[in-house]
Amino acid sequence: MKPAQAELLAAAMDRLWKQHLPELEDRVAVLEAAATAAGAGTISDQLREEAHFAAHKLAGVLGTFGLAEGTDLAREAERFFSGSDEEGWISQERISQVPIQLRALMAARK
Amino acid sequence: MQHRILIIDDEDDIREVAAMSLETVAGWEVMVANSGAQGVLRAAQYQPDAILLDVMMPGMDGPTTLRELRGNPATSRIPVLFLTAKVQATERRRFADLGVQAVLVKPFDPMTLSVQIAGVLGWE
Repeated sequence: MKPAQAELLAAAMDRLWKQHLPELEDRVAVLEAAATAAGAGTISDQLREEAHFAAHKLAGVLGTFGLAEGTDLAREAERFFSGSDEEGWISQERISQVPIQLRALMAARK
Repeated sequence: MQHRILIIDDEDDIREVAAMSLETVAGWEVMVANSGAQGVLRAAQYQPDAILLDVMMPGMDGPTTLRELRGNPATSRIPVLFLTAKVQATERRRFADLGVQAVLVKPFDPMTLSVQIAGVLGWE
């Protein structure tokens, strides 16, 4: 890739990041609500499914914007809310930290 | 050579980043669709050289969209590449067995997405 193309691409990525940040923040808010409800033992099937979907979508996109660690965090949440963490490797305490860490990463990307 | 690609993905962010990447880096002509149903129509209408198809979409998902494309003589021969955030090898194998040219993984690198696609399809 020519340097001019790389610059153009980086600038476009920054523009798209700013444009789509509100949707990404909404997905993190869903994870936070679900983590809180799961901690209280009141999570509904619908909220669990919404959180699974939000985590899956975040996992797919954050790394594309250069936040590989964000993808890893979102994948943890995806496993937790999909119910596929049968061995219980991901603790409730851990899952409540995921939205906080995602927000910090996303703020740093700004 | 300028290729024509159709991206079918329900997520605005992924669709726009992929489109921008393929246009900027490779200079390809990109068309987009935000659902499987819209993608099937656009594929028949525009006859792209290849289709980049998201797996997990509400309504008509990727595998269902693929079946529709393969069942229509106007689109049955267009190469399709799945794009998925599923990480388990068994899931990727299951998708590959559906008859796509490749299964590409999200997140993707916008700098090299076109190289990946060109490599799979044998484009220079």
